[in-house]
Amino acid sequence: MAAYLIRRFLLMLLTLFGISVLIFVLLRIVPGNIADILFSSAGMVNPADKAQIEKELGLDQPIALQYVQWIGGLLRGDLGYSYISEKPTWAEIAPRLPISAKLAGMALAFAILFGIPLGVISAVRQNTPLDYVLRVISLSGLSLPSFWLGLLILMLCVRYFGWLPIYTTPPATLWDELLLYSIPAAAVGFRSSALMMRLTRSSMLEVLRQDYIRTARAKGASYAKVNFVHALRNAVLPIVTIVGIEAAFLVGGLIVTETVFNIPGVARFLVEAIRQRDYPIVQNLVMFIAVTVVTINFLVDMAYLALDPRIAYEK
Amino acid sequence: MTRLFCLAVAIAMAAPSIAHAQQPKSGGILKMYHRENPPSMSIHEEATYSVNVSSMPIFSNLVIYDQHKAQNSVETIVPELATSWQWSADGKALTFKLREGVKWHDGKPFTAADVKCTFEMLAGTSQNRFRKNPRKDWFVNVTDVTPKGDFEVTFNLSRPQPALLAMLASGYTPIYACHVTAAAQRTNPIGTGPFKFVELKQNESIKLVKNPDYWKKGLPYLDGIEYTILPNRSTAILGFVAGKFDITFPTEVSIPLLKDVKSQKADAVCVLEQTNVATNLIINRESAPFDNVDVRRAVALSLDRKSFVQIMFEGNSDLGGAMLPPPSGVWGMPPEELKTVIGYGDDVKKNRDEARKLMEKAGFGPNKRLALKVSTRNLAVYRDPAVILIDQLKDIYIDGELDVIESGIWFAKVARKEYQVGLNLTGAGIDDPDQTFYENFGCGSERNYTNYCNKDLQAQFDAQSQEKDVAKRKKLVWEIDKKLQEDVARPILYHARQGTCWAPYVKNVTIMSNSSYNGHRYEDVWMDK
Amino acid sequence: MAAIETIETPSRESRLATLGFYVRRYPLGAAGAVIVTLFVLMALFAPLITQFDPTLTDSRVSLAAPGGTHPLGADFMGRDMWSRIVYGARISLAVGVGSTGLGCLFGVTIGLTSGYFGGWYDLIVQRFMDMMQSLPLLVMALVMTAALGPSLSNTIIAISIPLVPTVARVIRSNTLMLREMPYVEAARAVGMNEFSIALRHVLPNTLAPLIVLATAQLGSTILVEAALSFLGLGVPEPHPSWGRMLSESAAEYVRVAPWLVIFPGAAISLAVFGTNLLGDALRDILDPRQRD
Repeated sequence: MAAYLIRRFLLMLLTLFGISVLIFVLLRIVPGNIADILFSSAGMVNPADKAQIEKELGLDQPIALQYVQWIGGLLRGDLGYSYISEKPTWAEIAPRLPISAKLAGMALAFAILFGIPLGVISAVRQNTPLDYVLRVISLSGLSLPSFWLGLLILMLCVRYFGWLPIYTTPPATLWDELLLYSIPAAAVGFRSSALMMRLTRSSMLEVLRQDYIRTARAKGASYAKVNFVHALRNAVLPIVTIVGIEAAFLVGGLIVTETVFNIPGVARFLVEAIRQRDYPIVQNLVMFIAVTVVTINFLVDMAYLALDPRIAYEK
Repeated sequence: MTRLFCLAVAIAMAAPSIAHAQQPKSGGILKMYHRENPPSMSIHEEATYSVNVSSMPIFSNLVIYDQHKAQNSVETIVPELATSWQWSADGKALTFKLREGVKWHDGKPFTAADVKCTFEMLAGTSQNRFRKNPRKDWFVNVTDVTPKGDFEVTFNLSRPQPALLAMLASGYTPIYACHVTAAAQRTNPIGTGPFKFVELKQNESIKLVKNPDYWKKGLPYLDGIEYTILPNRSTAILGFVAGKFDITFPTEVSIPLLKDVKSQKADAVCVLEQTNVATNLIINRESAPFDNVDVRRAVALSLDRKSFVQIMFEGNSDLGGAMLPPPSGVWGMPPEELKTVIGYGDDVKKNRDEARKLMEKAGFGPNKRLALKVSTRNLAVYRDPAVILIDQLKDIYIDGELDVIESGIWFAKVARKEYQVGLNLTGAGIDDPDQTFYENFGCGSERNYTNYCNKDLQAQFDAQSQEKDVAKRKKLVWEIDKKLQEDVARPILYHARQGTCWAPYVKNVTIMSNSSYNGHRYEDVWMDK
Repeated sequence: MAAIETIETPSRESRLATLGFYVRRYPLGAAGAVIVTLFVLMALFAPLITQFDPTLTDSRVSLAAPGGTHPLGADFMGRDMWSRIVYGARISLAVGVGSTGLGCLFGVTIGLTSGYFGGWYDLIVQRFMDMMQSLPLLVMALVMTAALGPSLSNTIIAISIPLVPTVARVIRSNTLMLREMPYVEAARAVGMNEFSIALRHVLPNTLAPLIVLATAQLGSTILVEAALSFLGLGVPEPHPSWGRMLSESAAEYVRVAPWLVIFPGAAISLAVFGTNLLGDALRDILDPRQRD
């Protein structure tokens, strides 16, 4: 067990190292660097001044050296300075993290609250009209672009309520905050809830066919108790997996939704930073996302081990 | 034209000129949305009015265009940090008397040395270096700036240039302090203006607060200005309609949206003004087939400018050459003069017949069409006209394909001449021929992307620049402008007109009619709430 | 797999009967097939069912409301929305099929070789796949399109890359299983070389899971393209990409001309919905292990 854990952990580090190299090299293949961006915004081209900026930011050094400097700094906890704002990278990222985290958390909560019960109902009522309706709803959740959904919601809110649920100033109270994030969270969470619903349905169906469920029913356990207690407990495992997978997908959903609702979270910030070739922000943010995703996957694996003794851990 | 007139009347009726009669009230925070994250807070280092709108309130100039006269011209220049100015008899020295008792936002006193420092930074001779210096060429004739005591300063010129005063009056020319580094001005600007900088949260907001020690007593009226950065225009307008903002970002509301605002928020005050941003074509005259002047002319002749203006502005804009046309512009050719210029005639069909003949002469025809890449920046204001252009070129045997270039590398690509035909936007900081001609058409200028260089014309640039008589200078300018269009130096498609709207309780806002760069001091804006 | 093998050169009647069976057994899947077919037909016969060139601008109908000669209205530049939606099907189809195809091609090659040959090669390839999977798909595609520049072909490439590990994983695990099958052992025993075994015996048997996977991915590639174009990367103007139609200039007129936002979004949703329905049905038919 311990050996397996260590092995998994080392592989995780290896993966992260690979990502760091990948993103670092990719960014430097991207045509145009910060100097180009800065000069383009001023509509000018001056090779000498451009070279000066590149020198100041250390972009004239060999890539390998730049990489070592970045990783060295990262290990010491020094993330460097944003090229655009000229403030410490951490000071730019830190205030945005909780915003995206809250949004993602609420989206996930939304997904679980809707996805799991509806999935259970759909499985229990398999092949009834209700099942078909729920399946169509869940599939449409996977088919609607979340930014389109967001735009439609905004349109309707203004037209019928004269209210625009976008972020303009930081919310004052917890209640305001919940209210502000609930709509974008629903727009992102719709997709996740659809996935959750599908998965819950199929794993519930599997479990419902098992012998012990039949036994429980035969012994006279109530219909509801069998479905919700026995079956769901066993269906929980694949759901844990989907939470892991969804964590990565949510980031994608957040990018567009934060754009539509003007929420100053990390996801939109990442897009802006890529656009402006703000390497320190992009590199460190991507690393942060990768660490989060890899850690969640690791924890999901651990949860698997803990929840299901049938899974052997040698491979 | 009649529609333009109707709209103008509507605007005139809505304009709150009565506001001056009311007693201004102090207090309140003006909320505005900002169209994008400004590249930095430092006006001198940037070339977009995204910076001016949020940084102009922080600074003061020596002189400034009167903030309540919509049309900027030499006559509307008023003192700011200077109290008076005097030209020498030979027109080669300009002396300013400076205001005493003015303090920087950090409490240090303002003196003539700060003026000298600012222009040394602009000339690139200071230790305190700008990272970017886009308007260095504006002051290329200034040989030195000499203080005399703490409150007098003289600009010495290598040749007479009356337009120097116009450059100094632009929102682009604030006075910087000796003791603040260029880097600090980018992130934490310190000025002598009516508002102090509080913070810029990247992609989120900019906050300014009232400067209680502002040298104009009793001003500003506002307690502060808050800009919410909101690049998505539809959400921004929705926000204004829903009352989240007191005013839209200046000259950024398109005509369909303007109509929408008026229908949703009937009491909103809206104006539609020229931005003095010209949409133009840059043609790479170094590569075939555009090294052939006939092909360049054919392109110029094929343009249906009215159709551009019809689509982009529902007809609400004026045709013009390199200089902004009247009535908004001071120096542009009047319509009757303009009609005689190649490609500006009313008969598009005739022009295109002629264009096809030129194309045939160059070896193209219905069976030998020219495949062309039209490059442009990946922004809607660039892409939209480029799409229309491609559609128009179909008529003269040209099959255009849009080549969208990532915004950040656009100018680098243009500089390397990696394009055939480019669609470009050129903003004029001030409505003055010196700025437009030297910057965009002058031999060797950094922003003359096509490297158009005509020695005769260059001499004419110098001649108009030294002409003190405005009427005579105008005639010279028209001649130059006409020649530029005939040379197909940089065909102008149209001059953009954009709207600004604000809630009725916002008073004393004046939107400049011939520049979007100069009218954002906001010192006497107030809110009747 | 069984399902494929039972359909042996059927006569016309029995073919119809089989079709009828599937339609009754999988009504949702049949609906999906109809939707997808409609979109494919729309893309193929675009010039026949539209009146206007999708790039033709016309100042007179700028932001025209739906109706008359412009059944779905016109955009800011007076381009016919119906034409743009119809031609947009070509773009979405090209991106969907192109990037899924490309992703599958690389994914299969990598999955097959690493599953079949194993060893160091497998270990290294797997780490690489791990790496690519720990970045969210959209983030990966974002960096890729930024690196390659906005164009149709680059968008296809950028979207296909994040697909590779997903496909490779599935194919690899299938290959691992197949490698130990008796008939593969037999082929080896008669002296067939490893390459031919992989190609002739292993590859065809990974086809079913591949089809299931590819249809499932088709919808998501269309969605990613839409998201990328919406963010201003992805397929550039004047290509009538549905995602691009929803971005910037269109979104700007969401109140004045809501049809500019409603129709392209509906087109995306419907196309993706169709492929998802079809994908579900195909999974049930071709991959009985996952059948519910």
